Amino acid sequence: MSDAPPSTESVLAELERILVEVVGDDLLLDGPITLETSFDADLQLESIEFVALSEQLLITYGEQVDFVTWLAGMELDDIIALTVGDVVGFVVASLQG
Amino acid sequence: MARFLFVVPPFAGHVNPTVPVAAVLAERGHEVGWCGLPGTVEHLLPDGARFLPATSQEVADYVNAAGERRPDLRGAAAFKFLQEEVLMPLASAMVDGVDTAVAEFQPDVLVVDQQALAGAVVARRHGLVWATSATTSGELVDPLEGLPLVAAAMHQLRVDLQVAHGIPAAQAATGDLRLSPHLVVAYTTEALCGPIDLGVPVAFVGPSTLGRPEVDDFDWQSLDPDRPTVLVSLGTLNAEAGGRFFAVAAEACRDQRFQAVFVAPTELVPDPPPNVTVRPRVPQLALLQKVQAVVSHAGHNTVCESLAAGVPLVVAPIRDDQPVVADQVVRAGAAVRVKFSRVRADALRAAIEQVLTDPDLRASADRIRQSFEQAGGAIAAAAALEDLLT
Repeated sequence: MSDAPPSTESVLAELERILVEVVGDDLLLDGPITLETSFDADLQLESIEFVALSEQLLITYGEQVDFVTWLAGMELDDIIALTVGDVVGFVVASLQG
Repeated sequence: MARFLFVVPPFAGHVNPTVPVAAVLAERGHEVGWCGLPGTVEHLLPDGARFLPATSQEVADYVNAAGERRPDLRGAAAFKFLQEEVLMPLASAMVDGVDTAVAEFQPDVLVVDQQALAGAVVARRHGLVWATSATTSGELVDPLEGLPLVAAAMHQLRVDLQVAHGIPAAQAATGDLRLSPHLVVAYTTEALCGPIDLGVPVAFVGPSTLGRPEVDDFDWQSLDPDRPTVLVSLGTLNAEAGGRFFAVAAEACRDQRFQAVFVAPTELVPDPPPNVTVRPRVPQLALLQKVQAVVSHAGHNTVCESLAAGVPLVVAPIRDDQPVVADQVVRAGAAVRVKFSRVRADALRAAIEQVLTDPDLRASADRIRQSFEQAGGAIAAAAALEDLLT
């Protein structure tokens, strides 16, 4: 990986790739994933898929992106409101150190 | 001779498993009764059963209507709604009535469903012997593993409930209203749900509803004995919400070598393919003896009844405990999982074909079937409850 931290656009593209892998390619039937896409209401991501997502983020970005600990700090309302943009922002911030 | 009072929520899937257990207890000379919301329980009980209302009819109607709202919710939002808008108000509404029922019936043991927490509150308040009735395995494993703040908030709701009903805060903070320290009766086996250590005694009894009487008005002649048969059921509660899924399933079955029976309102599946029969009700236990695969929403009772017949499944969980139950049966090797909201006909067809042909899936289902036979069902549940008397 280059020294420059990845942009929001590149992390979004990578997250879309991961989500398609985790959920299946049916995911994009409803249109492209955007920063506003909600994990609960739109993607209906289940807990087993959150686990797979965290594994894929680890493989892709390494231990610098500690998704599990970040998720563990959330209240129920945070999880209901969680968007793709939140995760992209978290990944970008983590990689900036 | 002792008295057992079952405290139940207004959900048929949580009441039905208690009926055969109560029947065994009654055969052995004990007195049994049920306490719950009037109008939601009595029709599920045998003739002449003793029912003690936990609320007035007005409160029951109100609480019950609240629980029927928001079938649109999924995932974490559905979880929040179930906990905060259904189960906690239900528990608060039932406490005083359960208290009165206890005073009247004088039970030696309260048998408390995991979704009828009022029973646990009353048992703790009076220091009664109580057992947890875990009619689904969804709360035996921790669905909130990895989310400690959410788990703590849910625990606090149950502490607040107790404090609001007169239990000292220090006592309320210990233990778990969902898990009696005396006994948990789990209507599953570890062959299905995996090894579990709850720190309290657990009786794994397997499903208890296998001998229940059924109305058999099914046209058995309509099934071709030379074709494999697939049962497609989303349970009684979810059938209405399953319009898209049933349409996909009908397409998945079109022109295939197998035939299918859909349990759905007939208007929900207009113009089904010739190899698909749509019936609003079926004698499920009898039908499960004739089918080679089940497509299900992963409701606990349907999953267990399928496995008790040795039939592997395609699971498409919708909400609540269904994703947890689906995880369990997939991990046990007896099911293939698809996504309820998104699955397409070709993927569902492939999953059905895999369940019909994969010998490993069938072997796992058969292994769970044997574990159920050994677990003893309603008789084992009744024996475990009797053991609490000594």
